Amino acid sequence: MMGARYFAKMKGTTTSPPRVSLSEVAWSWIGAFLGIAAVAAINFNLLNGTDMVMVIGSFGASAVLLYGAIKSPLAQPRNLMGGHFFSAIIGVLCYKVLGSEMWLASATAVATAIAFMHITKTLHPPGGATALIAVIGSEKIHALGYLYSIVPAALGAAIMLLVALLVNNIPRTRRYPEFWG
Amino acid sequence: MEKSPEKDLFSRTDISDEDVIAAMRKINGFLDITPGDFKEVYRFAFNHAINRVLSAKARDIMTKRVHTVRPDTPLKDVAATLSETGVAGVPVVDEGGMVEGIISEKDFLAKMGGEGRSFMGIIAECLQGKGCLAIPVRKQAARDIMSSPAITVGPDEALADIAGLFSTRKINRVPVVDEGGKLLGIVSRADVVKAFTDMGSAA
Repeated sequence: MMGARYFAKMKGTTTSPPRVSLSEVAWSWIGAFLGIAAVAAINFNLLNGTDMVMVIGSFGASAVLLYGAIKSPLAQPRNLMGGHFFSAIIGVLCYKVLGSEMWLASATAVATAIAFMHITKTLHPPGGATALIAVIGSEKIHALGYLYSIVPAALGAAIMLLVALLVNNIPRTRRYPEFWG
Repeated sequence: MEKSPEKDLFSRTDISDEDVIAAMRKINGFLDITPGDFKEVYRFAFNHAINRVLSAKARDIMTKRVHTVRPDTPLKDVAATLSETGVAGVPVVDEGGMVEGIISEKDFLAKMGGEGRSFMGIIAECLQGKGCLAIPVRKQAARDIMSSPAITVGPDEALADIAGLFSTRKINRVPVVDEGGKLLGIVSRADVVKAFTDMGSAA
């Protein structure tokens, strides 16, 4: 019966990967602290009182990958940079074209961002958030227009990438990135 | 995948979730893959590697420097060649390099009439004082006892088929010849084993 097979799939087939070592936990913490510190310090200190933004919510998600799952294909420089940049453009475009129907602009932005990241081999989960923020974000974000894709999206991601390159290669047991292209 | 002919190979080389988790523990850092997905990747990769080796051609695995004898080479010289080179069989080729047959220890044993036509059969007869069994073949030449026509393969024969030939025809080596029947090399059972060990060391 087809129904039985359908529901049987929901039981899962395998187990969770093992827990990482304590040193891995520590280096993930250090990397994430420094990476977010860099973009947040620029945002709240240097850019305070300006129209510019350097930190967006999706960078928190990028930090998980960049400092906590550094071997993941999703965490590699190509994915990080391409994912944020393309998704930002798509998000801004969707807000400008479909902004009168916010639910439609939101859904189209995220779905199209995922499709575009797949096609360009730049899948980076936080990119979906970057696209969504372009639509549902504050007036400050909306006022940036397409600049949003350069600052904060691309530049912020580049700063976090620099921190990842510097920090992730300090411990003997870590190496970043796996690939560039 | 379930219906593939390699399924048997899969089940014999299968790895468990525990095997994968043990391997993942050895690698520092978070691996963004479930043990289940890793097993799937492993199975396909393993199967791919096996097929790569099995599809190697005779020309890739053959020994090119082949010891040979002529049809008119006296058997005492053939025996000396086998003894000196440490191989158990050699192709018999004419002046033009055409393969006329193949001659091996088995052909000698067969003609020397040892019981069961085996080495131990010869030993047994010697020990029973029945005289030297090599006497009858002393005056003969390679063409008199060689296996002819020899079983041969072309240079593009796949390793899998050569291995099958060894098994079904109960032979230990097969000359590789071009379209005209001229000797190019020889593939022995040892060459087949080496193709697999080379796969292992290349990994």
